[in-house]
Formats: sequence, structure tokens, C-alpha cells
Amino acid sequence: MTTTSARPALTAQARARRPAQRSRRTWHLTVIGIVLVAIYIFPLYWMVTTSLKTEDQLFTNPPTWIPTRIDFSAYLDTVFGNAQMMRSLANSAIISVGSTILTVVIAAPAAYAFARLRLRWSALLLLPFLLAQLLPTINIALPMFALFSQWGLVNTLPGLILADTVLNLPFAVIVLRPFYLTIPRELEEAAEMDGCNRLQAFLRIVLPVVRSGLVTVAAFAFVMTWGEFTFGLTLATKQEVQPVTVTLNSFIGQYGTQWGPLMAASTVVAIPIVVLFVVFQRYITGGLAAGSVKD
Amino acid sequence: MTSIASARRPVPAPRRAGAGLRRRWLSTGRYVFVLPALLYLVLFMFYPLVYTFDLSIFNVNAANFFRGGAEFVGFDNYVTYLTSPTFLSSLAVTLVFTIGSLLFQHAIGWAFALFFNRGFALSGLLRAILMVVWVLPAVVSASLWRWIYSGSFGLLNAVLAWFGIHTTQAWLVDPHTALAAVVLANIWVGVPFHMLLVYAGLQGIPATLYEASSIDGASRLQRFWSITVPLMRPVVITALLLGFVHTFKAFDIIYVMTAGGPAGATNVLSISVYQLSFDYFKLGEGSAAANVLLVIPLLLSIVYLALRRREETAL
Repeated sequence: MTTTSARPALTAQARARRPAQRSRRTWHLTVIGIVLVAIYIFPLYWMVTTSLKTEDQLFTNPPTWIPTRIDFSAYLDTVFGNAQMMRSLANSAIISVGSTILTVVIAAPAAYAFARLRLRWSALLLLPFLLAQLLPTINIALPMFALFSQWGLVNTLPGLILADTVLNLPFAVIVLRPFYLTIPRELEEAAEMDGCNRLQAFLRIVLPVVRSGLVTVAAFAFVMTWGEFTFGLTLATKQEVQPVTVTLNSFIGQYGTQWGPLMAASTVVAIPIVVLFVVFQRYITGGLAAGSVKD
Repeated sequence: MTSIASARRPVPAPRRAGAGLRRRWLSTGRYVFVLPALLYLVLFMFYPLVYTFDLSIFNVNAANFFRGGAEFVGFDNYVTYLTSPTFLSSLAVTLVFTIGSLLFQHAIGWAFALFFNRGFALSGLLRAILMVVWVLPAVVSASLWRWIYSGSFGLLNAVLAWFGIHTTQAWLVDPHTALAAVVLANIWVGVPFHMLLVYAGLQGIPATLYEASSIDGASRLQRFWSITVPLMRPVVITALLLGFVHTFKAFDIIYVMTAGGPAGATNVLSISVYQLSFDYFKLGEGSAAANVLLVIPLLLSIVYLALRRREETAL
């Protein structure tokens, strides 16, 4: 936690001690950086170009590094023309939005209480949330399959929302808590003086102040849920409720070495996450350093 | 609470009992805020974990799972699993996967972090682009690397051909190379995260320390060993401990790339739990395997919490 809280001040400091001439002297580092990052993300370029190549450009030796003709037929056939793919994209959207809302609604008051409880209790109660992040997903998925079978929640979207929230909740509470710690108690006391009760003070005064924390947690919960695979694989055996990650995995078996369609499907699964990341980048990386979790 | 009641609060002396009551209500009020989250974890995490133990001491399988009537077998499932040949080989595969991934992720993450820490134009943007690799759904990375490792037209072999090595090796199909290939893909996924942690730690070291020691005539290497290394200790401990637990439990990226094959070459413990429970539907033995899988992360969690208490970790 210390690392992130110290961050904004220090970056400002770092910026201050870096005069304009220094950035002129470090242009070669920028060039090296661009080359390194380009090499590192080359596999992503490869994924996208593969999905856009015509069959004859796909299987060449040496490979076609830059496609000369662009072909969208892989997208039309395997994604937009494929009922199962479209349905599972919709399922994933429903599960991700549902779990994001549930996570925020439960985590926001909990993190607030943790920030306001006496330290001893807060540390003790936080413990299960800390440990929960370290559990292998399969350890929850297996008994949950048995329990959800009894409760009628296997092969349902609500069942998947409930399961995925288990993964998001501990992270959300831990990431949100420091945001509340920055709020002065006087703010809530003033609200109570004005006649708000504790709940009203929380909803009207406190929550708006921690908006950026809520955005971090929501963005992160969406990213995690969209990419979630283990619960999808174990709790959704019927195609109708499968999230898109499970459908993509079954495509791999189905399409074998038809890499064009497979990379088109992979690209489509990646796009919402990349877009979300570009929009909320600042929030997500900040939250990551604080919570340090993902499967 | 009405406005009058709230307005009374700053006048505690004459209404001592009332104020105490109110204070108590307030503190219970705080617990009410935590309650939904705690109940959620109890119902959907702790109860399932306890239930796993319950399942593991019964002979639960496809025949009796839906109809009931599984037979109590004590610790037989544990004995069967721990003495099966799969267990030891899975444990070995898991440790190689975890340690191999972690060491390279952390070392390369350090290299990137040190590079970006030198501060140059566009460094923030470039770091953000690297992070995209890490937020990608595991299934996407896994299917992409399957294509890269493909024998006849895969990217890896094309790059090797560039360096004069001509091969049609299908990296994920050959039991001798599958594990290394899966580790390499996982390193690619995990480096940005270690870079992020190390970079945040490096940014937290006050610049004045470096300035003072360079005035004293310390070389770049001396400054690294006497300032950076000791101050980064908590970050390194945290990244390695949490990284170990997270990598040890990895499931999706391996499952999608190889499903544990070929011939068990990449069959980590989490996949063996899945196979026992969902492929063979031996839920009793699978539950025993799941509890075995929990042992190492649990021990490391205790180490982590102890270090955290002594404030030797960064998170």
C-alpha cells in the first residue's frame, strides 16, 4: 500500500527534477523503448493480422509479415455469422455487468466500514479477504458445482454472476479501503450535523468522494469477469449459458488448425478488454499496484 | 436518526447514557456495512471450502452424485491420490512451471522497470501498452500462443528460421518441449505485472538518496547495490511470494494450451483436480486432490501474513 500512496507525489517530484533538456538527451531511450515494446507486443499484431489474412497469405513460408489483401470473412463466418459465438458474447456481457454491479454494491460499504473500524478489528476482519485472493479458483469451483447442483444454480447466468463475484469481492474491498482512508472524518460529522443518518451520509457524501476508487474497482471487476474461465467451464456445461471464454476454448477443439477463424474469435474476445483498458488505464494500473491480484 | 438527535451529539455530558447507546449503535452500524460482504464470503467461499472436506471423505462419483448415498471412506481418497503416480509427477510439473515462470517474469520485469525508471518521453505510454498483455483474457493468450507454437507455419519457427534454425517442431505436441513452451507463454503474460510492482517500488525511493551518494562519489553500480537493492527488499519479497501463490494455482492458460498433455507433460496439480472431478467425475477423490493443492499456498500465506505484520512486505 505504501508504494501506491507515495506514487503521485513522487512522480510529480520526478517530473520537476527533469528539465526539458533532459528529455532531449534521452530521446535514444525513447527509441529503444519503442523497439522493445514493439517486439514484446508483436504476438498481438500477429493475432490481429492472422485474423485478417486470406487463406493463401496464412500458410506461407516465410510468413506474410504484412497482409497485402485484407479479408474480413473470418469475422463474418466465425463471429457474426455464428449463433453460439454471438450468444456467448451476450452471456459474457450479462455476467460481467451483473458481477461488476454486485461487486461494487457489496464492496463499497464493506471497504468503508473497514476504513472506519478500530484498527484491531479491521485487521482481523480483513484477513479472510486477503487470504481469499490466494485461493486456487478450482478449489471453489469444485464444491460450488456440487452445491449449485443442489441449489439449482448450475447452468444459469445468476449462478455464474454469484460465482464470479467471489473472485472480485476480496480484491475490490482491499483496493477500495485506502480511498476511504483519505476522507476526513469531519466530512461525515458535518453531514450528520445536517441531519443525515449514517446511510444517507455514506450514500450522498462519502461515495461521491471515492468515485475514482469505484471506477477502478468496477473496471477491474469487469476485466476479471470477462476473462474468467474456470467457473464458466465447470458451472456452465450447457452451451446456452456459456461465457465467451468457454466458447473460444471449444472453438479450439472444433476449428483445430484453422488459425484465421480462431484468431478472429480471439481478437473479438480481446477487444472489449483492450478498449476498457485504454479508457480506464490510469485507474486500472493504479488499482493493480495496490491490490496486486489476478489469476 | 433525526436531525435533532444528531444535533445533540456534541453535548455529551448530561446525556451520558444516551450518547453511549448512540455510540454503540454507531459501531454496530459499521458492522452492518461489512455484513453483506462477510456473509457473501461465508456462503460462497468458506462454506464451499468446508464442503470440499466433506466431499473428500466420501466416495462421491457419477453413480451416487445426483442420487445420493455416497459411502463414507475416511481418508481413503487422500491415500489413493497421494500414492497415485500422477500426484508426484503433477507436483514436479507444477513446481517447474511455477519457479520457471516466476524467476523469469520477475527478472525481466526488473529489467523493464529499471529501463523505464530512467525517465524518458513516452515512457508512461509504453508502460501502459505493455500492461495490455497482462489484462488480456487468459484464453485469448493461450489460443494465440497455440498458433505461435504451431509446427508448420507457426511464428516461433518462422523467427527461428530467420536465425538460420529450420525446424517444423510442434512445440506443444512434443512432450519434451510442451512444458517449456507453456512456461514461456506464461512468462510473456506475467512480465508486465512484475514490471508494474517493481517500477512502483523504484519510484518510491527518494531521489535525494541517489543524489547524496553520487556526491559522495558512488558509482552507478554502487548506488544500485547500496540503495536500490536494500530498499526494494519488501517489493521483491511481496512480488515473489504473491507471484508464487498466483502461479502455483494457474489453471486456465495451461488448460487451454494443452489441457495437461501431451502425456501429462504439463499436467499441473490444478488440472489434475479438474480431471479427477469433471472428466472422471470422481468428486470425492477430486476434492481430496483439491485440499492437497491448498497446502502450499496456505503455508506461503502464513509466511506472507507474518512478514506483513513485521512490515517487510510492500502490500
